[in-house]
Amino acid sequence: MLRYIARRLLQIVPTLLGISIISFSLLYIFPGDPAEFIVEARYAVEPTQEMVKKIRMEMGLDRPMLVQYLDWLSKAVRGDFGKSWTEDKPVMDLILERLPASAQLFFTTFAISIAFAMLLGIISAIYKDRAVDHFCRIFSLLGISIPSFWLGLILIWIFSVQLRLLPAFGYGGIEHLILPVLTWSFSFMAIKTRFVRSCLLEALSQDYVITARAKGLPERIVVLRHALRNALIPIITYFSLSISHLIVGSIMVEVVFSWPGLGSLLVESVFKRDFPVVQALVFISGVLFVIVNLVVDILYAVIDPRIRYGD
Amino acid sequence: MRLTRRDFVKFTGIGISTFLGMSLLGCTKKETFKDTLVIGYADDLKLRGDPAKIDRSIPKFCVLERLIEYDLSSDDFVPSLAKKWEIENDGKRIVFELRKGILFSDGTEMDANAVKFTYDILVVRKHSVAPKSVEVIDDYTVAFNFDEAWVLNFAKLQDVHGLGVMSPKSVEPEGDPNGTLVNLIGTGPFKVVEYVENQYTVLEPNRYWFERTGLEPKIKKLIVKVIPDEDTRVLALRSGEVDVLIDNYHGGYDYTPRNQLSALKRDGFKVLTKNIPYTWIVAFNYKKEPFNDVEMRWAVNYAINRDEIAKIFDEWVRPAWDGMFPPEAPGMAEANVRYEYYLEKARDIVSGKDVGEIKFIVDNSQSDQVLVAQLVQQQLKDVGLNVKLETLERGVYRDRVRSGDYDLRIYYIGGSERTFYMRIFWRFLPPEKPWKVYMSDNVTEKAMAVVKEFDKTKRRQKFVEFYKALYEEAGVAPLYYEVVAVVEKPNVEGVKFEYSEPRFYSAYVRAYA
Repeated sequence: MLRYIARRLLQIVPTLLGISIISFSLLYIFPGDPAEFIVEARYAVEPTQEMVKKIRMEMGLDRPMLVQYLDWLSKAVRGDFGKSWTEDKPVMDLILERLPASAQLFFTTFAISIAFAMLLGIISAIYKDRAVDHFCRIFSLLGISIPSFWLGLILIWIFSVQLRLLPAFGYGGIEHLILPVLTWSFSFMAIKTRFVRSCLLEALSQDYVITARAKGLPERIVVLRHALRNALIPIITYFSLSISHLIVGSIMVEVVFSWPGLGSLLVESVFKRDFPVVQALVFISGVLFVIVNLVVDILYAVIDPRIRYGD
Repeated sequence: MRLTRRDFVKFTGIGISTFLGMSLLGCTKKETFKDTLVIGYADDLKLRGDPAKIDRSIPKFCVLERLIEYDLSSDDFVPSLAKKWEIENDGKRIVFELRKGILFSDGTEMDANAVKFTYDILVVRKHSVAPKSVEVIDDYTVAFNFDEAWVLNFAKLQDVHGLGVMSPKSVEPEGDPNGTLVNLIGTGPFKVVEYVENQYTVLEPNRYWFERTGLEPKIKKLIVKVIPDEDTRVLALRSGEVDVLIDNYHGGYDYTPRNQLSALKRDGFKVLTKNIPYTWIVAFNYKKEPFNDVEMRWAVNYAINRDEIAKIFDEWVRPAWDGMFPPEAPGMAEANVRYEYYLEKARDIVSGKDVGEIKFIVDNSQSDQVLVAQLVQQQLKDVGLNVKLETLERGVYRDRVRSGDYDLRIYYIGGSERTFYMRIFWRFLPPEKPWKVYMSDNVTEKAMAVVKEFDKTKRRQKFVEFYKALYEEAGVAPLYYEVVAVVEKPNVEGVKFEYSEPRFYSAYVRAYA
C-alpha cells in the first residue's frame, strides 16, 4: 500500500509542475506588457517609459523567464502569491477573505446535490423506463441544459419579485443562501443523477445481482446492499472530484446573486487583468483538483484491494 | 316623547352619517416616512486601502466635496470649498482661498493642510489628474503648481477621477499621503458609518453639513448595496429590496440597461435622466487601411441611421445628428455641424474601393453596446461593407484595442460634466494610447488650443474650430448622446441631479402606516 501511495505521489509531481507552468504563463499569454498593466492598475495613469522600466526592475520582470518562474513557484508553494495589482493587499489575504463565502455556498450545494442526486438516481434506476424514470431524466436534462445565470434570474423573479419570500441578492443569513444553492444545485445534481443511474443500472446487470435475486432476497436488499454498494466506488470518485469546483465552479451563481466568493473574485480579476490573483486561483484550483484526485485514488485502493493488486 | 317617522329618519340619518364620518376619519392614512434609503449600485465603494482608488460615485459626491465645481451650462469653474482663487505664472499656479468654518464630519476643521494632504495622495502616485505640487500658504490659503499652463488644471481639480477634500485622519498613519484609507472622512452631506467590502456601505447624515446649509436630513441612513449584475439590480428594485438604482456612467459599464427603462417606467417606477456631454461613437482604427482614408470614414458616417439606434433604447437617448457632442457642450451649437444619413453616397464611396473584411469589435459586458453594434453592422452591410462583428470579453476587447487588431469599435467621447475637459485631452491629444480616438495634426492642434485657453469666450471659439476640424476629417462616427439615469420606486422623493450626479441629501421614502 505504501508503495502504491509513494508511486501515486511521484506521479502527481509532473502534473503539479504543469499546473504551475500554466498558471505562471498566464502573465505572458495575454497580449500586452505586464509592466504596463501594473502601472495602469497601480497608478491609474498613462504608463511612461520610465515608469514601465522602473516597474520591470522592481517586479523582476527584466529577469530571464525561467528565473522569474522559479522565484514565483518557490513563493507560491509557501502560499505567497505576491500583492494584488489592483487591491493593494496580498493575494492570499484576498483569497482568504472570499473563501468562507465560497465554502458556505459550495458545501451546502454539495450536500444537497449529493442527497438528491443519489435519491433520484436510485429511483430512476429502479424504475427504469417507467414514468418516474422519464421524469428524473427530463429533470436531469433540464438541469444540464438550463444556464445557471438564466435559472438564477428566473428564481429571483419568482421568489423575490413575485412572492417576496427570499432576498434577490447578497450574503448574510440562511435566507440569502437558498436561491444561490437552489440554482447551483439544479445543474450540479443533474449530471450526478445521470451518473448514479447509469452506475446503478450497470451494477444491477451483474451476475452477483442475478444470484442475489435467485436466492430470493428482497429487491430492497438486492439494490441497496449488493448493487448500490458496488456502484458506489465510481460514484464516490466522481462526487469527490467535484470538490475542485469550490474555487471556480460557482462563477455564474456568485455573479448573479452578488455573492462575494472566489468565483466572483476570479471574474473581477480577469476583467481587471489582476494577474497575481488569476494565477493564484488557477494554481490553487489545479492543485486542489490533483490532491483530491490523489486522496480519492488512495481511498479507492483502500476500498477495493483489486486496484492495488492489479497495479 | 313620541318618536315620529320624520324624527326616526332624522336620527337614523345623523347616526349613519356620524358612523361613516368616524369610520372615514379612522381610515385616513397618516403619511409616514421610512428612515432608510437603499441604493443598488454595481461596484464596491472601495473605502479601504488605497485612498486614490475610492469609487467615483457615492464617496465622491455624498461624502467628499471639492474645491471647485464645473458648470457646463455656463462653461465656468465655480467655487465650492474654495471661496476664490488667483491664477499666477500664466496659469501654472493657482492659489485658492478656502472658506472658513467648514467642518469635517468628525468635527475637525477643513483647512489648507487637509487640502494639501488630499492632493498629495494624487501627487505621490503621479495620478493622471494630480498637480505637480501643493503648498500651504496659511491655514486657509493653498497653492497648486502644475507643469502646464492650461485650463485643464482647473478641470483636474474637480474631475471624477480625482478626489474631494478628505481629513488627514482618513488614513493610517494619519496624514500620510502614502497611508492606507481606513475611514473616509469628508465635509459632504453624509458620513460613512459602516463598510463591508463588496457587500454594502452604511452612511448617515453629516450634521455639520446640514447645519452649514440650513437643510434638514429626511433620512437617517443611506445604504449602498453592491449588486454587480445588471439584471439582478433591476430585479432587486422590483422586489423592493432597494429603493433606487444609480448608474456608474463611466464608459457604459455597470448602469441600468437603457432598454429596460421603458418597462420600468411602465411598471410604475420613476426614471430620472440627465443629459450629459457624452457620446457613443464608432471609433476608427485610422492608422491603417481602410479607415486611414477619410472617404471611408465618411462612408461609415453616411451609412448610419442614428434614429434607428436611438429607437433601440425607446428614445431615452438622443440620436447624434447635431455634432460629435450634444448641443449642451460648449460651442457645439455654434459649430453648426450635422451628420447625414445618405445611403447612396455611402454606397458610391464603398463601391469605388477595394475593401476586405472589416473587423468590428465590441465589449460583451456592455450589453447596450452589443445591441448597437449589431444594428450598426447591419447598416454597414447594407452599403456593401463586409463587416464581421466580434463580441469580446472585456479583457480581450481591451487587449485587441491595445494591440490595434480591429478596424472599428464602439467607444465613447466626452463624459459627465466634470469629466468633459479631461476627456478632450484623453481622446484627442498625444501621446498615442489605446484610449485615444482620433489624432491628426489639425485636430490635435485645435484640441490643444481649447485646453490651453483660460478665457471662456475665446475658448468657446476654439471649441468651434476643434469640432469643425474633427467633423471635416470624419474623425469619429457619432451614434447617440448618453444620459445618466436614476431609477427609483414610486415612493421615493427628493433625489435630484447636481451637475451629472444624483444627490440624496433631500431624499426621503414615503411609507404608509
